[in-house]
Amino acid sequence: MDLLNSYQNNYLIVFVFLCLGILLPIVALFLGKLLRPHKPEEAKYTTYESGIEPFHDSRIQFNVRYYIFALMFVIFDVETVFLYPWAVAYDKLGIFALIEMLIFVIMLAIGLIYAWKKKVLRWM
Amino acid sequence: MSLSGEMIAFILLSLVAIIGGILLINLTRVVHMVIALVFTFISVAGLYVLLSAEFLAAVQILIYSGAITIIMLFGIMLTRHNDTSEKTAGVWRKLLLIAGIAGFGLASYAGIYNLDIPVQETKLHEDNTRQIGMALYSDHMIPFELTSVLLLAALIGAIILAKKDDEKKEGEES
Amino acid sequence: MVEDLLASSPGLLNFGIFFLLATVLLLVILGFVTYAILAERKVMGFMQLRQGPNQVGGRWGLLQTVADVLKLLIKEDTIPKSADRPLFILAPVIAFAPAFMVVAVIPFTDKLQFADIGVGLLYYIAISGISTVGIVTGGWASNNKYALLGGMRAAAQMISYEIPLVMSVLGVILLAGSLNLNDIVDAQSSGWYILKQPIGFIIFLVASIAELNRTPFDLPEAESELVAGFHVEYSGFRWAFFMLSEYVYLFAMASLTTVLFLGGWGPLPFMDFIPGAVWFSLKFSLIVFLLIWVRVTLPRLRADQLMEFGWKVLLPVALANIFLTALLKELFNFM
Repeated sequence: MDLLNSYQNNYLIVFVFLCLGILLPIVALFLGKLLRPHKPEEAKYTTYESGIEPFHDSRIQFNVRYYIFALMFVIFDVETVFLYPWAVAYDKLGIFALIEMLIFVIMLAIGLIYAWKKKVLRWM
Repeated sequence: MSLSGEMIAFILLSLVAIIGGILLINLTRVVHMVIALVFTFISVAGLYVLLSAEFLAAVQILIYSGAITIIMLFGIMLTRHNDTSEKTAGVWRKLLLIAGIAGFGLASYAGIYNLDIPVQETKLHEDNTRQIGMALYSDHMIPFELTSVLLLAALIGAIILAKKDDEKKEGEES
Repeated sequence: MVEDLLASSPGLLNFGIFFLLATVLLLVILGFVTYAILAERKVMGFMQLRQGPNQVGGRWGLLQTVADVLKLLIKEDTIPKSADRPLFILAPVIAFAPAFMVVAVIPFTDKLQFADIGVGLLYYIAISGISTVGIVTGGWASNNKYALLGGMRAAAQMISYEIPLVMSVLGVILLAGSLNLNDIVDAQSSGWYILKQPIGFIIFLVASIAELNRTPFDLPEAESELVAGFHVEYSGFRWAFFMLSEYVYLFAMASLTTVLFLGGWGPLPFMDFIPGAVWFSLKFSLIVFLLIWVRVTLPRLRADQLMEFGWKVLLPVALANIFLTALLKELFNFM
């Protein structure tokens, strides 16, 4: 029971940090509101674009390569999620687990090499 | 039903999760929806923590709040991301929907309430990651290896789709 | 006393006590950020043969950053008319809150630590990933071309270097057999992991500089190309929170490097009469100095070089490092 309590208390601390992380901006911005001037003027609220009037929509379409990199990120992130418990339990698992993981990683390495050959990894 | 700290935490987290979900459906701009979804993901991670599954909670935040959200945002940037969806449903349809949801909620509440689940002592909070590692790499080896095939297929499939798109665009430009 | 508190059933009283303690830590971190900025400017000045701040607060410019913060506090707060107002306000909070949350799990000494959770290392990596969302949101909400480009670049860079970062620490986890940061420090009593994991350390260092968006990887904020990057429309204290989260991450990352590779609060052999807190701060300052040094020395990379370096060099090397470590561990266990 003690262990469970200590587990819960530790996550209570995490929650406290979350609260503080949200409170600090709120408090600071509120204090700032009391101190800072407020002189609205039309020109102040225009979008900055190196001194000229903004033209076109700023929400441009991005290149597809951003999406591919994000996708590779997701896949390798999932891979690391499998690697973490493996690394922690490796003491108890031994050489067989090493071979298991080798197969797993080689599978994904094939994906990486394929992306490389298809010139997806080029940021140009 | 006593109002313990765990209960309060559960209520708060599930409220945030549900509100995030409702906002996801009701907001009009796509980027707003994604941000609402992030809140849902994070509170689900909080629920995992309450269930003593801390590894799963961390994975939930890493994969869903971090990676999946980014891929959705990048996907939105790829398209016309100023889009707003429009409301179409009429009043009657809404009422009917609400009644249906309430009925479903009541039915599942009654079902869960009557279901007798024996309380188990869990030791999950002690060395959670190691327990998962032991289970995954000795008992559930085949599914684990299959996962790698699935991931590989996803990666290669995505590259083929994206590349085809790219070539089409280049062809149009030239 | 702390053990009793941790063993007691969690309730409102515990919440209050933790809240007070965490507030103290928050103030300490704000103090660190204030003087880290000054130290950075001073060291950069020293390395570039100039003075650095030397007017406000005596010869050393000790009050320079304080004055800067006060100036930011009384600046007018403008939100552009075409910006997406709710997200514009929310974005600095999404970027800052995770930066502060990751500090919760870092053990400063064997007694001074806030949350001692089992998945400490993974928690750090997972939470720090949320900041990326804040940066993209900020860039998108500004409705400005530079801001959106900067935000997207920042996100692309941060996700590309997160993979080598998480892979490089796997060697450490293999050796320590735990994700708990306390256990990792304890496991280093026989030898620091910088000696046992030199490849892992180098990858970690490079990837962490990229994650911190510091030179030579500061493309998201490249002044000469993107004006200021994702926070170009932000002013006053909202802008300050983006900067603050960057420096809080510097604090957290330097602490994490100390814990993972430099033995945390552990002393050098025969020198254990010096208390752990001093050791920790010494190693920590060393890492911070190293980061500043790198910033002054190296020029900025090109965008394509940056991305290709992450995927084509760091990732394969990190993967190889994992199996090398596992194999060596297997061999030494048998021998």
